[in-house]
Amino acid sequence: MSRFFYGKIALNNIKRNSKTYIPFILTCVGAVSLFYNMYFLSVAKDIGSVSDNRSLRLILRLGAVVVGIFSLIFLFYTNSFLIKQRKKEFGLFNVLGMEKKHIARVMFYETLMTGTGGIVTGVLLGILVSKLMILLLLKIVKFKATFGFEVPVEAIGATVILFGAIFILNLVYNYSQVHRTKPAELLKSPNLGEREPKTKWFATIVGVLSLGAGYYIALTTESPLVALNIFFFAVILVIIGTYCLFTAGSIAFLKMLRKNKKYYYRANHFASVSGMIYRMKQNAVGLSNICILSTAVIIMLSTTFSLYIGMEDELRNRYPRNIMVSARNVPAEKAEELNRFIGEQVESVGANQKNIVYYRYMSFIVIKSGQEYVFGNSAGYAYNNSVLFTFITQEDYNRMENAQVSLDDNEMLLYAVKGKIPGDDISFNGLKFSIREHLSSFSIYEQSSSILAQSNYAVVKDTKTIRKVYSALNGDGDMGELSYYYGFDTDAEKDTQIELVRILRQKLGNVTKDGFVEGAEHERDGFYTIYGGLFFLGIFLGLLFIMATVLIIYYKQIAEGFDDRDRFNIMQKVGMSRKEIWKSVRSQVLTVFFIPLGAAIVHLAFAFKVITRLLLIFNLTNILLYAGCTLLVVFVFAVFYTAVYSLTARTYYRIVSA
Amino acid sequence: MPLLEVKRLKKVYTTRFGGNTVQALTNVSFTVEKGEFTAIMGESGSGKTTLLNLIAAFDKPTDGEVLLNGKSIHSIREDEIAAFRRDHLGFVFQDFNLLDTFSIQDNIFLPLVLAGKSYEEMNRELAPIAKILGISDILSKFPYEVSGGQKQRAAIARALITRPEIILADEPTGALDSHATESLLKLFSEINKAGQTILMVTHSIKAACHAGRVLFIKDGELFHQLYRGSQLNAEMYQKITDTLTMIAAGGERFE
Ligand SMILES: Nc1ncnc2c1ncn2[C@@H]1O[C@H](COP(=O)(O)OP(=O)(O)O)[C@@H](O)[C@H]1O
Ligand SMILES: [Mg+2]
Repeated sequence: MSRFFYGKIALNNIKRNSKTYIPFILTCVGAVSLFYNMYFLSVAKDIGSVSDNRSLRLILRLGAVVVGIFSLIFLFYTNSFLIKQRKKEFGLFNVLGMEKKHIARVMFYETLMTGTGGIVTGVLLGILVSKLMILLLLKIVKFKATFGFEVPVEAIGATVILFGAIFILNLVYNYSQVHRTKPAELLKSPNLGEREPKTKWFATIVGVLSLGAGYYIALTTESPLVALNIFFFAVILVIIGTYCLFTAGSIAFLKMLRKNKKYYYRANHFASVSGMIYRMKQNAVGLSNICILSTAVIIMLSTTFSLYIGMEDELRNRYPRNIMVSARNVPAEKAEELNRFIGEQVESVGANQKNIVYYRYMSFIVIKSGQEYVFGNSAGYAYNNSVLFTFITQEDYNRMENAQVSLDDNEMLLYAVKGKIPGDDISFNGLKFSIREHLSSFSIYEQSSSILAQSNYAVVKDTKTIRKVYSALNGDGDMGELSYYYGFDTDAEKDTQIELVRILRQKLGNVTKDGFVEGAEHERDGFYTIYGGLFFLGIFLGLLFIMATVLIIYYKQIAEGFDDRDRFNIMQKVGMSRKEIWKSVRSQVLTVFFIPLGAAIVHLAFAFKVITRLLLIFNLTNILLYAGCTLLVVFVFAVFYTAVYSLTARTYYRIVSA
Repeated sequence: MPLLEVKRLKKVYTTRFGGNTVQALTNVSFTVEKGEFTAIMGESGSGKTTLLNLIAAFDKPTDGEVLLNGKSIHSIREDEIAAFRRDHLGFVFQDFNLLDTFSIQDNIFLPLVLAGKSYEEMNRELAPIAKILGISDILSKFPYEVSGGQKQRAAIARALITRPEIILADEPTGALDSHATESLLKLFSEINKAGQTILMVTHSIKAACHAGRVLFIKDGELFHQLYRGSQLNAEMYQKITDTLTMIAAGGERFE
């Protein structure tokens, strides 16, 4: 038989299965063009002109990797679904006298056609929109520069290799599927004798436990650094919980409903409950996928969006003053010299100073142990119960707050930034202080210490007292001198500020060792680049995940439509009216459809707190902003989801009533 | 008044895109009295299923009417037809039409649940029927766990449980082996003796032998009918065979 012949059969097959193959090919086109664009952006010459383009490229490269891995998993999953649906067709070929090797050849041509079609169209589409993408990205990172049109061969090559490999993998899988099954099995209709699912109590319990554990972690994590460490773990737990509860928990629950005779044997529950058992068995994995993808989309979009919107706040949180100088081990005389030095440099560029904050301090990270605070080593950052104490002297306090406080040796003023300390006594490894006053305001608190769960400022009599605390906590050893901090705002132009930072950095070494200069304007562009880049990545991956969600939903509706058609016929024959059947079917379809969205929203609610903690690491303290963004994203997503539902439901009803 | 009257039924199928039409029934009239066991025979494609579907109001006739207890079933409103079917008719199909998602018991309960009966009431109705049909032991099983014969008994139980005026069966033995066929037909005879009216479509001579009367359809028309009277099975078998041979030979109507 000629090559031409197989090609023709393959083409006919694709046409005949167009209801399932066209969406598959469209998804390939989408995935290919998204991947091409991500890769293109990560290597595009234009990006080179953006400040901090190395971080941006890193983010984009990360995006390309995620898109690539996701495409691999998703296209493989979809392909295995399609081949399952088509087993009967191949069985028929086999019975009609085609050998397995001939079927394999037909499959080869099918893959060749869909693969080439999908990749070529995808790359062309990708190239077409790539200019748009780079303009969008540059706009988001607030960079005004556009050059020519660029088509990097490297990006095309990477795309073709990746997706070519995915198609070959799928082809190999399909071969193995046809090879393994006997023709009689191939012929058997996929739903014939579908068994009632067993109640899997073990999986249900695992599901409840891991979901509970995931939620518990999310709710009880206070420290952002702890959150960063265990967020991933909590996510895994919640994913496991979701899969177990969707697959096993739902069936256990429905069977419990069925056991309740009074509830079950009612006209409007009877068909629905038993129908749902069957439906959940078929769809549980797909539904969990939808749930997890939806959660991911919403979290990604809402976090990156709120970070992007709140960028000015975050910049200010990270850099509380326009220009900040700090140094370690600075005695009092040296501090005076530093103040003078800074003043001179500011004057030399013709800038002014305002909102000056200047003090010397010593910080300790301690761990609460009973009634005591004891020394916590640097790994202590990662514990929920580590507490930061920043000690300053009453001299600095009086100067900054215009106060006349005079403390005794064992007295302190305490300002709690986060986490209250109850009572009027406090003890550092045996060294007792009585708290003269819990301060309700403190002008220097913006100091970025927000990533620990608890943070306090303590004002004590003098440096000697601070040394005593040091000895109490560390045993012996020399504390050295206090650290130095000097920050101020200025009205100077951006360029002047950047110049000033450069000069300060250059000359600071002549005055003191271990000095450190930061300027908000100096970092602004980098901030925009990174937060904008993250936002762009959020949109991009959100788009990809939404595409996947839509495809899963569509296939689910088609598969269910064909199954339900037979059941529908039988029920009608046995005496259920069309209206009753529609009512039952509608309620089942609706439930199945909106369960994943509902579960996603529950996940989001539980994740809310831990995500706000994570956002602190990115200097986002505005919880309301994040809440607003989440609500907005959830709303838009729900509207979109419902739209997809009504569109695909039409296909479903058309199949069922055919 | 006869229980069932079929008057001048005609059915023409039109394929979806207009064009072709198939005349499945030309002109069929007959009556069924209460308590009768009637078989309808004919070659494949002769219109037997079409006839049964019209009697069950699954489909509307092109012409003619069907009366049950003197009432035209095609005049019943669309939204009442399901309830009507549930209350007055029982069905047994060749491929059983049991729902895989229900246990055998729930499959049998289905029409009663739809009619709003309580669980206790349904159990009371089921117990004697299950005993007669010999399916008491498999009630909690699922359709895919039992044999074809058992499935068909379950389907019969489902048809009987609403105490219908007539049972319509479309080739009920078509998917069964000879042993299961034999015991199922015995069951039909017993149920009939207890007073149940049965109208059964079949192309098995053996099955038709159990009926009190056999109607033959050919090319959409009633061709001939045989009464069993007091004949023995063997005599009946011979007569049916003769009639079928004649139909196959394209013979003219006789008697
Ligand atoms: N829904 C339909 N549409 C068109 N033609 C049909 C339809 N159902 C049956 N027919 C045709 O009507 C004739 C009688 O069919 P049927 O009643 O199923 O015969 P039987 O049950 O005796 O084998 C056949 O020629 C068949 O092709
Ligand atoms: Mg038929």
